Amino acid sequence: MKQEIRKTLLYDWHVEQGANMANFGGYEMPLWYPSGVRNEHLAVLTNAGMFDTSHMAMVRITGPDAYDLLQLCFTKDLNACLGINKKIALKNNRCVYGAFLNEQGEVIDDAIVYQVEKGHYLSVVNAGMGGEIARHLAAHKRGRNVEITDLTDKVGKLDIQGPLSAKILMKVLADPGKVFEKMPYFSFKGHFDPSCPSANAVCLTDGTPILLSRTGYTGEFGFEIFIAPEHFVRLWKMIFNAGKEYGLISCGLAARDSLRGGAVLPLSHQDIGHWPFINNPWPFALPYNEDQTDFTKSFIGDEALRNIVDFEFTYAFAGHDLRKVSAEDPAIVLNAEAKEIGTVLTCVTDMGIGRHKDRIYSVASPDKPKDFKPKGLCCGFVKVTSMLSFGEVVELRDKRRKVKVAIVEDIRPDRTARVPIKNMI
Amino acid sequence: MKEINELNFPDGLRYTDDHEWAKSDGDKVKIGITDYAQDQLGDIVFVELPELGETFAKGEEFGTVESVKAVSEIYMPVSGEVVSINEELADAPEQVNEDPYGRGWMIEIISDDSAEMDSLKSKADYLGMLRGL
Repeated sequence: MKQEIRKTLLYDWHVEQGANMANFGGYEMPLWYPSGVRNEHLAVLTNAGMFDTSHMAMVRITGPDAYDLLQLCFTKDLNACLGINKKIALKNNRCVYGAFLNEQGEVIDDAIVYQVEKGHYLSVVNAGMGGEIARHLAAHKRGRNVEITDLTDKVGKLDIQGPLSAKILMKVLADPGKVFEKMPYFSFKGHFDPSCPSANAVCLTDGTPILLSRTGYTGEFGFEIFIAPEHFVRLWKMIFNAGKEYGLISCGLAARDSLRGGAVLPLSHQDIGHWPFINNPWPFALPYNEDQTDFTKSFIGDEALRNIVDFEFTYAFAGHDLRKVSAEDPAIVLNAEAKEIGTVLTCVTDMGIGRHKDRIYSVASPDKPKDFKPKGLCCGFVKVTSMLSFGEVVELRDKRRKVKVAIVEDIRPDRTARVPIKNMI
Repeated sequence: MKEINELNFPDGLRYTDDHEWAKSDGDKVKIGITDYAQDQLGDIVFVELPELGETFAKGEEFGTVESVKAVSEIYMPVSGEVVSINEELADAPEQVNEDPYGRGWMIEIISDDSAEMDSLKSKADYLGMLRGL
């Protein structure tokens, strides 16, 4: 069966701008615009960039038992996911990152779950996954009083990411001072549906309600914005024009990939997928207890994760220069004894970082060396059959080249995602 | 992405199916990748070139161009010995994007067989192939 390639509402705009387009998740999406992916990547580190992410899907879960169904299906413990010790329950206007697993503990998709209010949740999932996640939730609903609605293609979504994002949004929001008050990382305000009581919390200067979320997938300060489709293209152009004086540019999926790689964020169905969701750089997505010995709740996939015999480990790595291997080749991983121990999941170049002496600096590092002009470092994720320690060097090998990389805990330093909003306006 | 009629393909060069160009100057041939290739690849961040004195057969891989998207092999349009390489690309690989036929040239070779040039595509044939893609 031939898959129909879908277009987002901004397709014509992307083409007019001269974007290099390609199929991603069943949608014709921009890979980069004529100024080039390096510019786009760097703009997000130093100024701001905007991304059309309306190919991503959303599922709405409402009803008295919605919370209970999400507790069963989503990996995060909604009773204990906020606060320094992760002991506070999810509350209104907060969102959390986690995954939906099958009974084998394998990832169906990763997601952010938003609590609009008790009994009203939104889950943002990857392109083309709205139907599958909605069906998965429906299959586990049993007698619960829950309504599940796949909102695929019914909501416009764009991301504005980078340190100047809030300053730019101040020009298009009604009452921005109030909107940005008490808006920590992973919180949101407003709603794209005008009939929702919280819709008037965030409006554009022309009165259009939006859902403004302080999240994103670049590791940098910024927002994801959800809006009714009929207002989407207008919103995009409003922000694009407002941002020009701040150096805002439109960015494609290639920059999104290199930015998220450097920020140690997984790409669903590439870095996480049909293997158990454990022993990876994302344990915060699982409901571990304080000493990481067990889970604080039961959920779909928990038994499988508790009883794994054949362990595999996913690690982040960073290279010594920008040279990549092709993960599609596929590329293999060899340990110090030249024994094959696994495969490369993602290999990208973070163009904003470089090594100096014994550490990695970013173009945005306040303490970067004088005249620092990095060429970029290759980085990404490997999945291996033996446990490795941070700092250990492994070799990545594709049919063309061998690249030595270090297993690392983190890649791009001085990311801005968590910087308090008051420092950014 | 540029439309084909926005791309530049100088007259007097010969082209390959793999999107390299070759320009002869006496018994020497200068080699690089086409405007179409650089546009498809996007920002080129690294170019790996051979050593001086290495010889390659027509169609053999002589280096790689690494863009943000992928690492791609570059192949010899004609056979010969490398007598010059574009050292500037080590520090400024973006020259391949900016000026693929000028400052973005890659290697110069002494050709083994001048008749091989005639087997390459003319501008018109190369354009015809691109329009058929």
